Amino acid sequence: MTTLEQQKAKPEGRKDPWGPLLEKVGKTQDRAAYHALFEHFAPQIKYYAISNGLASHAEELVQEVFISIWRRSCLYDWRKAAASTWIFTIARNQRIDMLRKMKRSSAEMAIETEDLWQIPGDNEDEPVTSLHRLMSERRIRESLSLLPEEQITVIAKVYMEHKSHQMVADELEIPLGTVKSRVRLALNKLKVILQDQNV
Amino acid sequence: MTRHHPDSLSLMEYSAGNLSQPHALCIKLHLDQCPHCRSRVDTLDSLGAVMMDQQPKVSVSDTSFEQLLARIDSVPAEAAPAAKTPRLSPLQKLLGEDINQLPWKRQLGDVSVLDISDKFPEQNERVVLQKLVAGGKAPAHTHRGNETTIVLQGAFADQKGVFNQWDFVVLNEQDEHKPVAVGCEDCITLSVLSAPLKLTGTFTRMLNPFIR
Ligand SMILES: [Zn+2]
Repeated sequence: MTTLEQQKAKPEGRKDPWGPLLEKVGKTQDRAAYHALFEHFAPQIKYYAISNGLASHAEELVQEVFISIWRRSCLYDWRKAAASTWIFTIARNQRIDMLRKMKRSSAEMAIETEDLWQIPGDNEDEPVTSLHRLMSERRIRESLSLLPEEQITVIAKVYMEHKSHQMVADELEIPLGTVKSRVRLALNKLKVILQDQNV
Repeated sequence: MTRHHPDSLSLMEYSAGNLSQPHALCIKLHLDQCPHCRSRVDTLDSLGAVMMDQQPKVSVSDTSFEQLLARIDSVPAEAAPAAKTPRLSPLQKLLGEDINQLPWKRQLGDVSVLDISDKFPEQNERVVLQKLVAGGKAPAHTHRGNETTIVLQGAFADQKGVFNQWDFVVLNEQDEHKPVAVGCEDCITLSVLSAPLKLTGTFTRMLNPFIR
């Protein structure tokens, strides 16, 4: 990372209020900072668990996510992800793990959840490529506020209810094509669609 | 350089954690080699964070944080996850160092296959490796259902273009093709075939990008 990028990245990084707290936990095992993160994120994660059909394990998921946050916080790098993005990926992976454990037969898997779903910053080799990551959360928030409700509903079901596009279509009783086009329109606004990027 | 990327909808299902392990594996192998798609997934992960933030909140039990601290104190100085040591790629973990040395089964002419579905005991999808010898041709065929394929080694070409290492392809029944392995290496692909929601016939045939 060049000095210029650092200069540009830093002010944006500071706009993420949770990043510094996470770094404190990582560097000095700061329990006040940890508590502040817990106060903010635990209720989100509990709802995430419930909406994902894990109501009877919701407290357990919150615990697992926060244990993981405690242990991994030393790896957190604000240049690679906003704190909330980092925490989301941990919650997602813990949810996947919990579902796996619940349905696991005797068979052991050769690969772990984290071999397939990486937490940002886990891979040391990965360069800090762009300011894109730092911008994206704020930009997403802004773009989302402009999206029609029907598009947000579909995205929320995919992220919060663990539903495939097909399941969303069945539930809303609309064609799969309609679901996909709503998602595409939304992702287009969010600049995830390929053509909008500099390939 | 890879030029065929997963579409945004698949990346979103990946970011949401909704894909099966074999499908996630195909995406992950591509992401490991494609900074562009990695950046798309970063954005999608942030979308997940924002969605989580904008949904309702549910208060945790009063003792939740104390329990957490008790757990932290009871397991002192647990080793931090070893991010510093180079990890094996998921492919190496699954298949070992050299995919050319696997117990390939010669199928038809230039094509060999290896069914690795049993590596994913929790899934009901078929996961198949295929090898087309360098310069070899596969017979013309179409596909049933959606097949997700990633090129692990070498390259193949069909009427839609050239698919190089780490390129990502989704084929369905509309795609009749006659792939040819191009370049001087055998072309090896990994394919995941989702079981269709409604099974209408027997489901025993080898389904893959080369042969049907
Ligand atoms: Zn890509």
